[in-house]
Amino acid sequence: MFRYVRPRDLDEAVAALAAGGDSASLLAGGTDLLVSMRQGLVAPAVVIGIRGLPELNGIGPHGEDPLRIGAGIALTDLAEHPIIVARYPALAQAARSVGSRHVRNMATLGGNLRLPTRCWYTNQSENWRASRIPCWKTDGGLCHVIKTSTTCRAINSSDTAPALLALDARLEAVSVRGRREVALADFYNDDGVNHTTLASDEIITAVLLPAARVRTLFTKATARTGLDYGYGTLAAAVTGSNRAIRSARIVAGSVGSWPVLLAHAGAIIVERGLNESAIADAAAAAREDLGEVANLFSPPGYKKRLVRGLVLQVLEQLRRQKLPVD
Amino acid sequence: MADRQFITLTVNGDRHRVPVAVQDTLVDVLRNRLGLMGTKRGCTSGACGVCTVQGDDGRAVLACLSLAVEWDGRALTTIEGVATPAGLHPVQQAFLEFGAVQCGACTPGLIMTAKALLDTNPNPDEADINEALAGALCRCTGHIKVKEAVRQAILRMAAATTEEPDGRTEG
Repeated sequence: MFRYVRPRDLDEAVAALAAGGDSASLLAGGTDLLVSMRQGLVAPAVVIGIRGLPELNGIGPHGEDPLRIGAGIALTDLAEHPIIVARYPALAQAARSVGSRHVRNMATLGGNLRLPTRCWYTNQSENWRASRIPCWKTDGGLCHVIKTSTTCRAINSSDTAPALLALDARLEAVSVRGRREVALADFYNDDGVNHTTLASDEIITAVLLPAARVRTLFTKATARTGLDYGYGTLAAAVTGSNRAIRSARIVAGSVGSWPVLLAHAGAIIVERGLNESAIADAAAAAREDLGEVANLFSPPGYKKRLVRGLVLQVLEQLRRQKLPVD
Repeated sequence: MADRQFITLTVNGDRHRVPVAVQDTLVDVLRNRLGLMGTKRGCTSGACGVCTVQGDDGRAVLACLSLAVEWDGRALTTIEGVATPAGLHPVQQAFLEFGAVQCGACTPGLIMTAKALLDTNPNPDEADINEALAGALCRCTGHIKVKEAVRQAILRMAAATTEEPDGRTEG
């Protein structure tokens, strides 16, 4: 059984995490950790309760950063915050699409950003897993989904990750070794087992966002309207007018072990503007950026066709949106 | 047991000092230590909502995904604390009138979900109601009668607030 510790501040929390090492788990909302513990996917020796730590709270401009969001914010509060709703709608939409309202009342932004990857073969009971040959994620040497894969292909189902990657966010992480910032673009690995570059002694403390003069949108394709992990998600952020697009960041989520920046699609929009023919070509080009896709939770070939459809849908909606004003 | 400790928990206004094991979830403590069996243990993965309770901010939270030790010093409301000596809560009354019940297993969770919605948003629209109820499932029938009941409860509570400035609802 694990030991539970409740640090009073961030210093105590990072000290406890450094002492616990790989056998420590952070507990904030608990909506993923408790399920993973029940399924025997993690068995921490120490659980560090960081819910409500003052250093993880707060949202607003901070120093040089136009917006700093404490990683401990509940997804409900993130989705309803007036600044987020008005200026970073893709993030509000992404936060709102996680789980149910009950879950969002508990789950935090930091937790969603480091959500463990999921797979139909591992996210099951221990007995279920025991009836299969172990895979890359369960200390074995194969992938049940893509037989030829030399790495784990479990899916990163975070909804806030693609939205924040489209918004070009940075993360702040703190450990006993100090504080560092990392671009979200450098935070994830295309590996279902080691899916983030976060060190085992680091806590995500905040998300830092650039000034928002962008049109942004997030959408999520699910089996049902509520509660599901996505078959695929798409987030996009564009700056400039339709004829003179200055930047276009288009990101597909829930299609691989990391959120995928659709660089070819974005380059087409920047080069040719946001118009029907460019959008159609960008949607077709998304396939190149996706690479090999594990069609977990969906039929073969589905996800590539889905992403094409999502790019069309999101860019067409953005094209019709009014330009943001200050 | 060495991993047992006491927590102070205020449930429905009553303060309890309860021994808990570190791995106990809030629903374990409510049911097994305090005998409050209205809060159910269902999917234990955040999908069904039968363990819904209201935290001290009025929001719906899942008692099966909360470690009891994390609730030390906090207050919550369970289904047992919803009715008053004066009578049923408008949400409960509306569930009765609209027959928004079949086997009943999901009913406490649905009522807590609806109450949390109305406590945090007195005038929810259709989308708000759907969004809230998406986290509390009924497997017998569906959500139509539940939604009718919630809409009725909204009207009742709004009327009661207008009639009685102190916000009490009719008995």
